[in-house]
Amino acid sequence: MGLITPLYDMLWKEYLIWSLLVGGFTFGWLYHHTFFYRSEEGIDNNVDNLEVGVFPVHYENLKLEVAWTILPFFLIVYLAYISWEPLDNIWSAANAEDGYFGDECLAGEASNLYWDDSDGVYKADCYHVIGITGFQWSWEFDCYNLEEDVCAHGVVNIEGNDKPHLMLKANSAYLTRMTSTDVTHAPWFVSHGVKEDIHAGKISSQWVLADDVEDFLLICTEYCGDNHAYMIAGISIHA
Amino acid sequence: MERKALITRSMVAMILLSIAMVFSPAVNSLPGGIGGDTIQSAGCNCHNSFPSSDVIASLEGLPEEYNVSETYPIVVSFTGGPPEAGVNAGGFNLWSSGGEFSVIDATVQARSPGEVTHTEVGNDYREWSLEWTAPSHGRDVDFILHVNSVNGDDGNGGGLDEWNRLDLTVAGSLGPGLEQADPYKVLGTLIIISVILLAATILYGFYRVNPDNFDWEHLAPWIVDWLTSTDHKKVGTLYFVASLFFLGIGGIMAMMIRIQLAAPGLNFISQDQYNQFFTLHGTTMIFLAAMPMINGFANWIVPLQIGAPDLALPRINALSFWLQPFAALLIFTGVFTGQGADTGWTGYAPYVVSEGAHTGVTMWVAGQIMLVASSTLTGINFLTTMAVMRAEGMGWMQMPLFTWSILVANLMLFLSIPAFGVGLIQVYLDRTVSTAFYDIGAGGDPLLWSHLFWYFGHPEVYVVIVPAFGVISEVLATSARRSVFGYRSMVYAMAGIGIVSFIVYGHHMFTSGMSPSLRFVTMLTTMLVAVPTGIKIFNWLKTMHGGSLVYRTHTLWALGFLVTFTLGGISGMFFPSMAMDVHLHETYFVVAHFHYVLVGGTVFGFFSAIYYWYPKMTGRMMDERLGTLHFLTAFVSYNGIFWPMHRLGVVGMARRQHTYFITTEDFNHLPEWAADWNLFISVSAFLFFFSNFIMIANMLISLVRGQKAPADPWGGWSFEWMTSSPPPTPSFGRFDGEKWHDLPVLRDANEHIANEPGAFASWFNRLMVPENEEEVGH
Repeated sequence: MGLITPLYDMLWKEYLIWSLLVGGFTFGWLYHHTFFYRSEEGIDNNVDNLEVGVFPVHYENLKLEVAWTILPFFLIVYLAYISWEPLDNIWSAANAEDGYFGDECLAGEASNLYWDDSDGVYKADCYHVIGITGFQWSWEFDCYNLEEDVCAHGVVNIEGNDKPHLMLKANSAYLTRMTSTDVTHAPWFVSHGVKEDIHAGKISSQWVLADDVEDFLLICTEYCGDNHAYMIAGISIHA
Repeated sequence: MERKALITRSMVAMILLSIAMVFSPAVNSLPGGIGGDTIQSAGCNCHNSFPSSDVIASLEGLPEEYNVSETYPIVVSFTGGPPEAGVNAGGFNLWSSGGEFSVIDATVQARSPGEVTHTEVGNDYREWSLEWTAPSHGRDVDFILHVNSVNGDDGNGGGLDEWNRLDLTVAGSLGPGLEQADPYKVLGTLIIISVILLAATILYGFYRVNPDNFDWEHLAPWIVDWLTSTDHKKVGTLYFVASLFFLGIGGIMAMMIRIQLAAPGLNFISQDQYNQFFTLHGTTMIFLAAMPMINGFANWIVPLQIGAPDLALPRINALSFWLQPFAALLIFTGVFTGQGADTGWTGYAPYVVSEGAHTGVTMWVAGQIMLVASSTLTGINFLTTMAVMRAEGMGWMQMPLFTWSILVANLMLFLSIPAFGVGLIQVYLDRTVSTAFYDIGAGGDPLLWSHLFWYFGHPEVYVVIVPAFGVISEVLATSARRSVFGYRSMVYAMAGIGIVSFIVYGHHMFTSGMSPSLRFVTMLTTMLVAVPTGIKIFNWLKTMHGGSLVYRTHTLWALGFLVTFTLGGISGMFFPSMAMDVHLHETYFVVAHFHYVLVGGTVFGFFSAIYYWYPKMTGRMMDERLGTLHFLTAFVSYNGIFWPMHRLGVVGMARRQHTYFITTEDFNHLPEWAADWNLFISVSAFLFFFSNFIMIANMLISLVRGQKAPADPWGGWSFEWMTSSPPPTPSFGRFDGEKWHDLPVLRDANEHIANEPGAFASWFNRLMVPENEEEVGH
């Protein structure tokens, strides 16, 4: 079972491997030296003849220092490179010719979202547009003129309290048009691993890529005052 | 201009400013005055209404004695007050000390399991139905009902409103339970206890210094001497004591946050209190604990390391310190009226200037403006001192690395904090005289605040970590009995971190809606930080190579720093990759990362500094056994707190949240084990909090019973080890009224290098005050 989404998991695994390699190398070196180069009890072996009031002898190695400047730099270039396309994928311009999600779906047209394993990105034939408005401390969803099967909203009871409920269709790409009526909020589609700030007087957007059938919470992740923690909504992705 | 005329004009300006402030729109007051948890103690504040006995509240359906876990349908209503106008007829807020409310129609909404209020639809009614499920504990339950009677027909001469309150207790089979303590009182009590303990410690310190003169005649001048001293060592001690005090206060708030999060759905502190505590926890730890801790050591050690008798501007130095306690008072003022800042330490606009934010935010902002002034003065002082008061023979590239770290940190702070100051002043003006820098309705831009804040905020993170790099360089080299490997690359790496810190701040705003192109550029620059940081870590490791590592408590903390800071650095690499960042942003993964860097980095670094320089400061050695016990307990419990947070963040636990939701049959969220790990974290947090008292006890016991410290107990090379422990005043040399004599002169084991500065050093020298013999010799 994946962690979040295939896009996230792919990067996470790659970063984790390099973290383990860098961490293993560093900690291996650290633990070796802390053990191997410890002093004998009671013996002060002043290796570099440190003396008060005397700037100590320089101790450097240009090749080594260049090596551990250049090698991490190459690793960073590599990590930036593998992060580039996923970045492009989550912020693909709408209606762009080389975009991943085509144009806005016509009435009755299916989005057909899928994970392209060979390219490591999400792709779709077209996308649906939905609206999200945040306010202290709840959400309002707008399906515009979409069919009820593609988008519907209502109210659902979550732990004894009525909360907004958004129902979307699996294997569909949605472009959210979002704004706030008061302070800054940020809807986090936890299972889709995306969030974006919404500001009063501005329209933000983000791709919500509903790939699997599931029910999960949307929560606010930009602190917005008293009931910030309870500014949640239910998201249901149906087949 | 004559001095007298200048003073007169200044006084006139001050009086005019005071008069203007009196007449300017000030902070809003709640109807019942400022105090307590807003609704419970201050009344219904949805309008600027007033309490009236004409309004009669009613709460029906509750039994005289409840059965545990049984659900009761209840009806809230009221009569009286202004006549109904058909719309906006009234509202209510119902709070209970136990059990849970359930909403059954659209007229009512839950603020939390124990608090319900009307909805926008429900605003047109004067009667509301809901359900209450009794708690399982069987103790008495208190209810507080506020009702608000409104004639909301503004257009027809309406707009009247009055409110009233009803208190009710429903008996449980076990009678009244233990009354839950008010978290404000808990915090206040603990702060008062801390102050009393601090005062007792200071008195005991005075007694130990003068056992035969323990009376007011001697105590008063002793206190006055501390309050008015400009000696860098005394000001440094004041900074140090203040930072430990606020480390404790910030820790107390962290403990209250952790009790609240020990299990899902708790209400140990209300969300209102929770928001204040995490805001002040952040502000306190960064500005009142970490920065003063750094300034304490910078004050003590920098003049000693460069062979200077004192700082260049001793009075400015004392002013820098004394601004801080008063700033702290302002920052905390709101908390003790129940209206502390509730914005998060980042204080994002437009919430920070909105009516919803607490009134204490104004004081919190004012306090931080004073801290900006303090930091600016500190920056001027240290840069001047290092530029003109280095000992003879000490070029820029012969300065000890701790001094270099303070130079880089102050340069960064000096260049970044004006942006923060400007932002704070704008917020202050928005909140007090109704300017509109961040008022969206008037064309203000909330993102301006984010830019100004993070332009300062990110370098600020490095401002507090770079001095810890300096400490570790000193401690590891001395402990390994070696000169630090790659001194010059260490200096360049610190300077590199300082430069890069200004072009990475956009990663804090990846989800703010900024341009994808800019996001990519910031991703690259952020990742670049790993290069100079990696150089430092590898250089430290290479320093140990071929050395003879002497294990002391400060060595353990330095090695612990290497472990935790490396882990924090690695976890930091996940954020620039934006497809991951849009998930990880504002989660506990971030909380884990920055605590690994700021606690595992800055705090561990300065714990190492305490054990390393304590003998120099006090003339007494610390107890190594207690030190080792402190390291082991604190290091283990610290990792117990923050390591599990990584996983919690990945699975969806967001920060700055009063509670968290566990997966139910209906909706997925956090797995069940998230609650277990949160409890584990809370227990670890208490262990970590109390483990640090071992160090405090060690410092106090060692002050009295510790072995006398020699001038150079660890075998270091820099000038601080040349003077006695503790050092005399002035720290070096003597002043004959015209000139300093007998200042130390640095010798260099690498004469050929000292005479041939590198290209960077030559360029840097040209930027700074030129080094001529007269000046270096002071």
